[in-house]
Amino acid sequence: MSTHYDPLEHPEVQQGSAGRYLAAFVASAALMGGAYYASTQKLPLVEFAATAAVLSLAALVSQLFLFFGLNASQAQIWKSISLFLAIPLFIVTIGLTVWAFSSLYARTMPMDGMLMSGQPTLLQ
Amino acid sequence: MQVAVDGPWSPLLGRLSLAAIPYDNPILVTTFAIVVVLAAVIVGAAFYFGKVGYIWREWITTVDHKKIGVMYIILGLVMLFRGFMDGAMMRTQQLLADGPASPGYLGAQHGYLPPYHFDQIYTAHGTLMLFFAATPLVAGLGNIIIPLQIGARDMAFPYLNATSLWLTMAGAALCMISLFVGEFSNATWVGLMPFSEMPFNPGVGVDYWMWAFQLSSLGTTFNAINMIATIVKMRAPGMSWFRMPVYCWSSLTTNIIGLTIFPVVTVALTMLGIDRYFGTHFFTAGYGGNFMLYINLFWIWGHPEVYFLMLPAFGLFSEIVPTFSNKALFGYATMVAASFSIGGIGWVVWAHHFFTMGMGPQLNGYFSAATMIVGIPTGVKAFNWLFTMYRGRITFATPMLWAIIGLVLLLVGGLTGMMLSASVFDYTVHDSLFVVAHFHCMVLVIGSALFAAVTYWWPKVFGFKLDEVNGRLYYFTFVVASLLVFVPLFYLGFAGVTRRLDYIYNPDLKSLLWVSEGGIGVYFISLFFFLKMLYISLRDQIPAASDSWGTGRTLEWLTHTPVPFYNFAVTPQINSRDELAWRKANGVENVQPTQYVPIHLPNSTAVPFLIGALSAVFGFAITWRIWWLSIASLAAIVIIIIIRSFDKNEGYVLSAEEIARLESRPDLASIIAEQPKRSSLAHVEAI
Amino acid sequence: MATNYAKAEPSALWNPSADEHDPISARTYGFWLYLLSDALIFTSLFASYAVLDNPSNAAGGPLAAGAINVSHGLLQTFIILASVLAYSLATVSMKNGNKAGLTLGIILAMVLGGAFLYISGADLWALAAQGNGPTRSAFLSIFFTLLLTHGLHIVIGLLWMVIMLVQISVFGFTKDVVGRLLNLRLFWQFQATIWVCVYFYVYLLGGAV
Repeated sequence: MSTHYDPLEHPEVQQGSAGRYLAAFVASAALMGGAYYASTQKLPLVEFAATAAVLSLAALVSQLFLFFGLNASQAQIWKSISLFLAIPLFIVTIGLTVWAFSSLYARTMPMDGMLMSGQPTLLQ
Repeated sequence: MQVAVDGPWSPLLGRLSLAAIPYDNPILVTTFAIVVVLAAVIVGAAFYFGKVGYIWREWITTVDHKKIGVMYIILGLVMLFRGFMDGAMMRTQQLLADGPASPGYLGAQHGYLPPYHFDQIYTAHGTLMLFFAATPLVAGLGNIIIPLQIGARDMAFPYLNATSLWLTMAGAALCMISLFVGEFSNATWVGLMPFSEMPFNPGVGVDYWMWAFQLSSLGTTFNAINMIATIVKMRAPGMSWFRMPVYCWSSLTTNIIGLTIFPVVTVALTMLGIDRYFGTHFFTAGYGGNFMLYINLFWIWGHPEVYFLMLPAFGLFSEIVPTFSNKALFGYATMVAASFSIGGIGWVVWAHHFFTMGMGPQLNGYFSAATMIVGIPTGVKAFNWLFTMYRGRITFATPMLWAIIGLVLLLVGGLTGMMLSASVFDYTVHDSLFVVAHFHCMVLVIGSALFAAVTYWWPKVFGFKLDEVNGRLYYFTFVVASLLVFVPLFYLGFAGVTRRLDYIYNPDLKSLLWVSEGGIGVYFISLFFFLKMLYISLRDQIPAASDSWGTGRTLEWLTHTPVPFYNFAVTPQINSRDELAWRKANGVENVQPTQYVPIHLPNSTAVPFLIGALSAVFGFAITWRIWWLSIASLAAIVIIIIIRSFDKNEGYVLSAEEIARLESRPDLASIIAEQPKRSSLAHVEAI
Repeated sequence: MATNYAKAEPSALWNPSADEHDPISARTYGFWLYLLSDALIFTSLFASYAVLDNPSNAAGGPLAAGAINVSHGLLQTFIILASVLAYSLATVSMKNGNKAGLTLGIILAMVLGGAFLYISGADLWALAAQGNGPTRSAFLSIFFTLLLTHGLHIVIGLLWMVIMLVQISVFGFTKDVVGRLLNLRLFWQFQATIWVCVYFYVYLLGGAV
């Protein structure tokens, strides 16, 4: 550690911008508010789930770019690469688990859901 | 909401009482006596030779990656021995308890181990071997070698590195204490549900296992963060990605796997913990608990875990085979691609561990196919090693012998793995000794790689080679023993012997059991040769050259032997893949730097050791439900971390003159040598 | 704090000036890796939630629709996003060397985080008080665990903010303090991102079915 430098000059400090953060807040709040509004509209389940998923995904993406400031610049590239390599794992963990258990439940508890309160669930 | 426990509980001692000490178990009493004597000898020797201060200053408080790596390896070897003893006890029990006419000793109906004790032994065997033998050995080697191979001075986070070590030690301590105070888990190393829940396992055994597992997982996760950051951020100038040794690529993949899987098992264990401590119903029998959810989460961790251990082994083969074939590794790019493929595919195949759960043919089919695909990159690697050896000038030094047998075992283990990956076949041998034999073959591949690596890099770290003659005797007896123990298990699995049996109903299987037991005997002989090899090597200490094997190709062989604590006096500039081979080809391998610059190194600190010690106390206290001590130790850990964050911790500086002096006297700079106290940076700057 | 080292010439074999690495980047990258592992903790919790959100795991008790308050969830979303905004703007003050702005922003972030915890805590307490606590069924176990794990992240974040307030006043903008504030920004933004996922998964989907 030879040359002295001002920590405040570091790119990750310098990347902070009030405009971007405000945009992130407005985008995320508006998108999630929109999803809430959709939930009050009594849409059929699949449509609602798709709408809410798209809106939430948009909120997440806006947070990645506007709050975290991920991009391909030298200061951020490794964070971006690491996250994008990890995203398939999130999908696989939840996806394969849901597939396996919905199949298991269908094969081992076929009467289930009819005896109970009749609520459809995430697995169906 | 707190779960009421069986047996007495006092506010001061929790569930702990004198009844927890197993006075009446002769095996444990004997073990305790041996452990006490050994500890007394070691501690006594430390005091007698006046080395206590040295051990504290140079080893326990160190943040040097090489010393941390050596301590990991020592832990791994000691736990390997204990795990081996557990295995030996299991094989002996199965031999003695064969058939209804077999006699019973020491209170057992057949054999000498009652089922409850036998169950703890196989649980301990699995837990110890995986978390406290294999993982520390792998982590230790990575710790020592990776910064050297990329030309860095240390890992990215030295303080975190030390903390990982001491957390792992804390987990191992809990396992050792469980021998003598209380009991260990009897619910298998996996932790089967609902068997591990309170109603079926009201004792402290499962809690010991759970907390040891958690501490070790935490240490491994931190180590993964450290390794990835080091490889990404701290390569020497000129070391682009495709000039990096394949062992570093393998370690990168390994640690990406490690980083991503350990959180999943942490969640699974925490859910079990909440069930046991707070009465929730994740995995209970009733109230909607779902046993298979635990199994699912566990194996999401469990399958990539085996690649977490195997990929470093492959990386080690990729270092040793080229060096002892005196030829560059064949197919560098495909090796790298294969490592990432194995890592990626290995992440999505976990359900082959529970084909029999009943997910249905589509899922079983997917998981079968995906599991089989992993054979392709593995095959690519195996062929690349063979093509490396082809037309090379092979030296059959001990590390090369280990590597060769590793490749043979990879073939056997891998082929039996392909058999198991077909779900229809798996249904017939699920949970039988066939599976046990398969994974022990794979474990032996890892073991071969680790023994090869320890022998290979020993001279670099310590300055002298291990004795070749006894090393070969150790190798041959170990290989013979392994074949004798595990090949019969394949047949026994087909004959219908399931795992974890303390009694075998069929006396016709006796001959196979005897062959296996013979292998155990040969393992003891190999242990003798191992110890003799260590003794003779330490006694003679024949100095080794910088490039100890003569045909080194990678950067770590450029440092002095033994490697100085600061690694390189001046950071090397990298010109090529296999930098040392390039320098030899250009005739510049002996060119030393002309000018030294001061080196800034981190200070030693007692904090990681304290965190480890307090974690062990926390694990013990919460296992025995001593609430006040649990809270106090946890609070102490948090407070120490916070206090330490206020420490400016500037490190110290090695001046250019000091470096010049140490360069001319490598024995003063080795990791064994005691270093004088040097002024901290803040002090230097104040002048 | 400047130190003057002799500048030796790099040659083709040795590079004496190579020891200067960027500790702040290494620090934030390491922390980012930790956050990825934390994301996998939440992934496992979400996967478990998906499995246990089923009448057979409800032991006759409520599923998500009976356990959540969707409008409270929306309010919590706004509050936590505002908290993240406050902290992020605080780091913009830090960029300008403005200690007072930084301190004010952190305190505001803490107050909003505390408000989030209060609403969440009150809802969970009420749920438990009516007999639907985490020990009632497997579904409620995962429901409480998921929400409390997120809440625990907020608690740790608040504790971290307190410590940083002390360190800012004692040490000023050293590389360690700045590095920690950057890490805390990542952490705080991360937990809000996780909350968006929780809101979607538990509140929106749960409330709809």
